[in-house]
Amino acid sequence: MIYGVLAAFGAGLLISLSRQINGRLSLSTSPLIASFWNHIVGLATLSLVGLIIGGLFSEGASHAPLWAYLGGTLGVIFVASGSWLIVRIGATNTALLVTGGQLVFGIVLDLITGHKPVLWASALGVVFILAGAALAQRR
Amino acid sequence: MSMPAPEETPRRSNPLHLALAFASGGLLTLMAHFNGTLGFHGGPLFASWTAHATGTVAALVFLAILALLSRGKRAGQSQEKKTRAPLWAYLGGVSGALTVILTSESVNSPVALSGTLALGLAGQVAFSLVADMFGLLGLSKRRLTLNDFGSVALIAAGSALIILFGRGAP
Repeated sequence: MIYGVLAAFGAGLLISLSRQINGRLSLSTSPLIASFWNHIVGLATLSLVGLIIGGLFSEGASHAPLWAYLGGTLGVIFVASGSWLIVRIGATNTALLVTGGQLVFGIVLDLITGHKPVLWASALGVVFILAGAALAQRR
Repeated sequence: MSMPAPEETPRRSNPLHLALAFASGGLLTLMAHFNGTLGFHGGPLFASWTAHATGTVAALVFLAILALLSRGKRAGQSQEKKTRAPLWAYLGGVSGALTVILTSESVNSPVALSGTLALGLAGQVAFSLVADMFGLLGLSKRRLTLNDFGSVALIAAGSALIILFGRGAP
């Protein structure tokens, strides 16, 4: 259990670390160039990991629908937007608003794809997130 | 300070920027859905490797399009002096790539998906608060106000509600 907890918490740390580093690179280049480097360096890292521990390719991969391959393209825009945002609204605002948006749109996606969300928790959660977002712009 | 947001002082957040951050979360939802589908068929490492490979190509295409569009109107840009990036600034992708491995470890542990999301958010908030307070890794320092902490508490609580109770039993 403690191993899983540390791994999950560590993943969160790494996400924010990555955004902070890419944000710094974007100051010297541009958000899109920072996103390019993020992807090519990540690709090299994952190739190395795949060579060491394996698991890069499996039989099932060919059954994935074609649209699933668009994730990388969205990722380029997402990483570029993160670099653009973090230098303007800071790391905390970026992390929280992106996650808040992810979860609220996640509920919408659940509704579209026929997964029923638990209504009271989802609704209350959305209200809390929107209230927090509103508070973030008051000074 | 070389903050590229001349119309605002660094401490006051532009509501439009906050709305854009929220919207980019929607992009993340779609991206996670696409990559998750790829991972369901080919495993998490295959999904992330493929996303980075197609992303590298897509970034080059976007950069080429931008270069074509901005041909002949260079004058404004070249006046802006930018400091050279330190070498470590190119390594953001390493940390992003390792995230995949840690995430798949914790999803397959008793922590499960909901715990992974909730603890991942806690990790992000912890790092971000320290990063803003001290201006880590070359980004500007931001003095956090009581409003900021209130907003952190509200968004974190709302996110935890959705993650832990909103999506039914895992």
